[in-house]
Amino acid sequence: MTDAGLTAAMVSDAPAAARKRVVVAGRLLLAVLLVLGWELGARTLGSVFFAAPLDVAARIVTLARSGQLAADVASTLRVSALGFAIACVAGVLLPFLLRRSPRVSTAVEPYIMASMGIPKYALAPWLILWFGIGDLPKLVVVTLMVFYIIFITTTAGIRAVDQRLIAMARVAGAGETAIAREIIWKSLLPFFFTGLKVALPRAVSATIVGEFLVATEGVGHYIEYSRQVADTVGVFAGIVIAIVLVLAINAVVNVIERRALAWRPVEREMEL
Amino acid sequence: MGEAPLLEIRGLGKRFPARHGREPSPWVIQGLSFSVHPGEFLTIVGPSGAGKSTLLNMIAQIDTVSEGEIVFDGETMASRDARALRPGCGRRIGYVTQDDNLLPWRTTFDNVLFPIEVQGRLDDKTRAHAEMLVRAVGLAGFERYYPHELSGGMRKRAALIRTLAYDPPVILMDEPFAAVDAQTRTQLQADLLRLWNLGRKTIIFVTHDITEAIALGDRALVLSRQPTRIAAEHAIPIPRPRNVQDIFALEGFAAVYQRIRSDIQ
Repeated sequence: MTDAGLTAAMVSDAPAAARKRVVVAGRLLLAVLLVLGWELGARTLGSVFFAAPLDVAARIVTLARSGQLAADVASTLRVSALGFAIACVAGVLLPFLLRRSPRVSTAVEPYIMASMGIPKYALAPWLILWFGIGDLPKLVVVTLMVFYIIFITTTAGIRAVDQRLIAMARVAGAGETAIAREIIWKSLLPFFFTGLKVALPRAVSATIVGEFLVATEGVGHYIEYSRQVADTVGVFAGIVIAIVLVLAINAVVNVIERRALAWRPVEREMEL
Repeated sequence: MGEAPLLEIRGLGKRFPARHGREPSPWVIQGLSFSVHPGEFLTIVGPSGAGKSTLLNMIAQIDTVSEGEIVFDGETMASRDARALRPGCGRRIGYVTQDDNLLPWRTTFDNVLFPIEVQGRLDDKTRAHAEMLVRAVGLAGFERYYPHELSGGMRKRAALIRTLAYDPPVILMDEPFAAVDAQTRTQLQADLLRLWNLGRKTIIFVTHDITEAIALGDRALVLSRQPTRIAAEHAIPIPRPRNVQDIFALEGFAAVYQRIRSDIQ
């Protein structure tokens, strides 16, 4: 009996494992192709237009050894994370508050949507005028970038909540706080995580663009500085660092998401 | 039953608000009256679309009434205005809906504990009571499963004991066993009667199945077609405890069945 069960389990797992190997092999192959294409680009266009992958790798190692990498990454992360956190809190709280009053909600919504149309980067010179050249103007841009994404996904999540579950909870004696926390928040989590994943790379990008304009350190500052001295390798190294940063943050979000949404019957291989 | 009724429905009427630019909608329910005594198991039979869910929604105070009044435990409920509604009437009316409405992100046991938890009454005693109910309906071993991992019958059981666990004196049931197969339904009915015997709560059980109405109830009300009111009332003369499995064979079943069927138009 146990043997039969064990064999059955192995048989059913075997195709899954094989599929996983194929996926990993495919990923590696794509990576090799990308690096080869990159190398090809560098050789045909020349090192001023296109930095070679090995040179970029060597530069990143140099930056890491000198400690500049850590300082720049820390600076970029500090602004992105802070802006991200402020935007998340505001982007989640505001829809919850608006939910309590449909009339205020209808009145305010067009203004929120209109303010979303403001091109944030166009505001940069004024933000510098208003807030000086410290972290503050960058923080404002990052916060604005992330806020709308979280606000819209959270609002959509609140609208999608199954009203029957709320009625059930009310009958069972749940107060408004319990309903918000136990029903609405839990059921909008998939929306929230989708918002997080869209917003995270933007938070990092926004910080980097902000650092082009005002900064004395940070990944963006390094890219902009390299560009000014026509250091193509430096620009490419900065871009690679930014990519790795986004991937690392995304991996962390994935872990949190998997734990928070462990109840969901999802196709694991569909995970992004 | 010389006692005062626990719940009284007087001339109840419901019509849904007119949509913009249209005729006001017809009465779904009109002039519906009945009363329920403490500890009574009342069944209500009606054809599909007779406004059975609407009726229970109004009693549970999650929907407003358009006409008439609901008196619960001597107190007239303010139920015209949606903002004045008190769903569940201060935890005294439990409601087992047609859909199980289990929270998909909570395990079976956490679903059962949900009402106790949000009422701030979770302690060793209430938890032990919930555990007893889980065992009583055969869900032991499935406490840590999520609803989507359970069968339809198990989800119904979980929804049922979620309401029993916080012990409301009145429980409304809206065709809770309609969506399961006949075998499971009989089992669930037997479970329900057994649990009811433990506490003798007041139950209003709505169904479209005449056999179910007879098997479970002390008294069966028959609903008319729309606008719905009470068309007939039948006492169920079958003594308890009843064997739900063989309910057809019991004395008195056939006669009541015939009478109820002729009342349903």
